[in-house]
Amino acid sequence: MRLLAVGGVIAYRALFNWTTPSMFVGTLLVGPLFQLLFFAYLGRQLGVADDSFYIVGNAVLAASTACVFGGTMAVSNERRFGTLGHVLLSPRPRTLVFLGRAIPYAGNGLLIAAFSLVVGSALLGLRVPLAAVPGLAVTLAVGALSCAFFGLTLGALGLRFRDVWLVSNVSVSLLLLLTGVNVPADHLPGWMRVVGGGLPITHSAEAARRLVDGDGFGAALPSLSKEAAVGAAYAVTAALLLKVFEAESRRRASLDTL
Amino acid sequence: MSVLRLIGRATLLHVKQLSRSQFEIATALFVPLVQATLAVYLFRAGTEPHRLLEAAVGAGMMAVWSSVLFGSGGAIQNQRWQGTLEMLMLAPRPPALLVFPITLATAVTGTYAMIATLLWGGLVYRIPLDVADPLAFAVSVPAAILGLGMFGLLLASTFVLLPNANAINNTLEYPIWLVSGMLVPITVLPGWTGPVGAVLPTTWASRAVRESVTGSGPVWPSLGVCLALSLGCLVAGALVMSYVERRARANATLALA
Repeated sequence: MRLLAVGGVIAYRALFNWTTPSMFVGTLLVGPLFQLLFFAYLGRQLGVADDSFYIVGNAVLAASTACVFGGTMAVSNERRFGTLGHVLLSPRPRTLVFLGRAIPYAGNGLLIAAFSLVVGSALLGLRVPLAAVPGLAVTLAVGALSCAFFGLTLGALGLRFRDVWLVSNVSVSLLLLLTGVNVPADHLPGWMRVVGGGLPITHSAEAARRLVDGDGFGAALPSLSKEAAVGAAYAVTAALLLKVFEAESRRRASLDTL
Repeated sequence: MSVLRLIGRATLLHVKQLSRSQFEIATALFVPLVQATLAVYLFRAGTEPHRLLEAAVGAGMMAVWSSVLFGSGGAIQNQRWQGTLEMLMLAPRPPALLVFPITLATAVTGTYAMIATLLWGGLVYRIPLDVADPLAFAVSVPAAILGLGMFGLLLASTFVLLPNANAINNTLEYPIWLVSGMLVPITVLPGWTGPVGAVLPTTWASRAVRESVTGSGPVWPSLGVCLALSLGCLVAGALVMSYVERRARANATLALA
């Protein structure tokens, strides 16, 4: 547990030694908020769904930038900055080291999602029932964690492929389309709904909408369980890929190839 | 004439350079397709499924802006990372003339996205390319790209003065899409956004292109305002660029500033 928590926090602090508060505010708080406003106004104009649909969905999705790119950076930046070899030389289990990295990013994602929900609701006049707040906190946390493990899975590809940023950029844009956050799922083709069901955010956005609609935690629980299952699946996938690609990169002597 | 030749050749050089980057090309092609698909499903789901072509063109303009924003915003920084900034500044030409082709090239590579979204819309979603005024469309798209390239010079020169330009870069994508009315009509936005949008070349560029597609208004006045505002940005950008260059030379911070 110590390795998981302390390792993750140190890696997170190291990342924020490179970046700045203005970068955090601009990229992770203001950017997702404008994304929320953009889709809320677009949805309002097209009459696709009400403001609540867009505010809640995009607030849950707001965690994705921090979590997907964070998870990717957790692995691929080690390679970029030449520290991957040192991490892999460590006598501790690498799976725990890397999975621990996802936790601070998920915390970060939770903060961003909560900020987007609060500010988006205040700007567009959405009233969230007080009773829904604890359930929403759990939902946003599960969504963020699931997203962070998804990011870590993409980051694991960074051990094998050079241009993992391309994969991350494309994945983040696909989340916009396939998770049903901006287009109601029943307006998407069947195959997109199936793919979306296997992506993070889809089920947590659904759970959050039920909570905001006042349906209660019981009604949100099935979707929340699905989101947790998706997150767990990505955590296992990330661990497997990290193991396989580490072994392969040692065999091919391509650990630090950029 | 030699100025035009310089701009033309340098733009071609930078377009070629950008076109060698798998990341740039894949991002310029794939991400806009996702956005165009999203726009198509949103317009279909809503009350205005007849505006699909407008949605595809709007998604294309959004992609051109993203290309200009991230390409031009980081133009100086990229030259610095490549180690070519000093050589550019040593050239016996005003710095703005050397940086403008870079920003113009980012707008030109953004046209990949415009073409891709239109082809995607036509081939996958059977959106007929029924452009109301083909001549105006053929003129307004390159003119809008030229205008955004000029706007890019102002971004490039201003951002180099700001220590946290990347943070601004990452923030400006959605707000400009929004207030420029690229996909969301300006009329549904709060009133105070009107004047903000009115001074942006992006607003008039997307308006001109939309008008040429839908025939909803006269294209040429919008295009004229777009180019006039862009020219203003070009002059302002050139002045800022000269100031930045002088300051960097005086402080010996060209490679650091």
